[in-house]
Amino acid sequence: MTSPPWFRRFAFAYGPVFAVLYVIALMRDLALFTVYPSLRIVLPGTHHSADIVSPSIAFAIPAMYWYGWSATAALGALVVGVVAAFLPERWTQRFSSAWLWVVPVAAMAACIYHTMPWFRLAKILSP
Amino acid sequence: MITALLIIHGLVAVALLGAITHQTLAVWIPARTHSGSFFDRFRAAPPASFANAIVVLYASSAILGAFVYFYFRVDVMPALERTRRWEALGLLELKEHFAAIGLALLPAYWVCWRQPQVDKCARARAALTAVFGFIVWWAFLVGHVLNNIMGFGS
Repeated sequence: MTSPPWFRRFAFAYGPVFAVLYVIALMRDLALFTVYPSLRIVLPGTHHSADIVSPSIAFAIPAMYWYGWSATAALGALVVGVVAAFLPERWTQRFSSAWLWVVPVAAMAACIYHTMPWFRLAKILSP
Repeated sequence: MITALLIIHGLVAVALLGAITHQTLAVWIPARTHSGSFFDRFRAAPPASFANAIVVLYASSAILGAFVYFYFRVDVMPALERTRRWEALGLLELKEHFAAIGLALLPAYWVCWRQPQVDKCARARAALTAVFGFIVWWAFLVGHVLNNIMGFGS
């Protein structure tokens, strides 16, 4: 049993585009919204605790960006996916299915690069 | 409540881990003969039969994880920061990035596994399965390590 061609085009565009947009959102700090779990509030856009309260107490108000980064990437990928779903089959056949896994693997490598400071911090600050 | 959710998240993750490991091994090193060894029987399972279960389990696990993460950020992460567990925080950050990318790949993964077995999608299907295998194992091990750092109910 196969899936409808329009859904195949949508799915094949959505995954890789999400991966690219997620990395851009992560690197550029483009969260669609910021969650403050201790205050139980959600603010549109990217906000840092130190920007809204005194830096001396900012550590007490943790902010979460992961939901916002994911939403940014999901929204962008949804738009591209819907456009791809309406494209003629002959246009989309030019794209190799290798992009399906090459792009996400590259995005994961970029995420590892972005996360390296945590591990350098561990090395610098370890007693 | 949150402890119950964390346990359910863990149980779903165990089921997902089993399914994706069966599928990845069956795709990459399929059993040539029906010998009686455990490893041969493990990878002799028809890989396509796991696809729907993996999609449901991955999505469930990601949603549960996203919910648990909300409480984790308030109750556990500050303690990790105070005790300077920077490497653990880095591993967790990678887990959340990989999990998000995997969630977005689920539709493509599902489509690939619904195609006939012999088609041009076969290589992408095998590669995507390996990517999912890596993400699930990474997420499981990091979640396990983080849980062990703080200890149950601490």
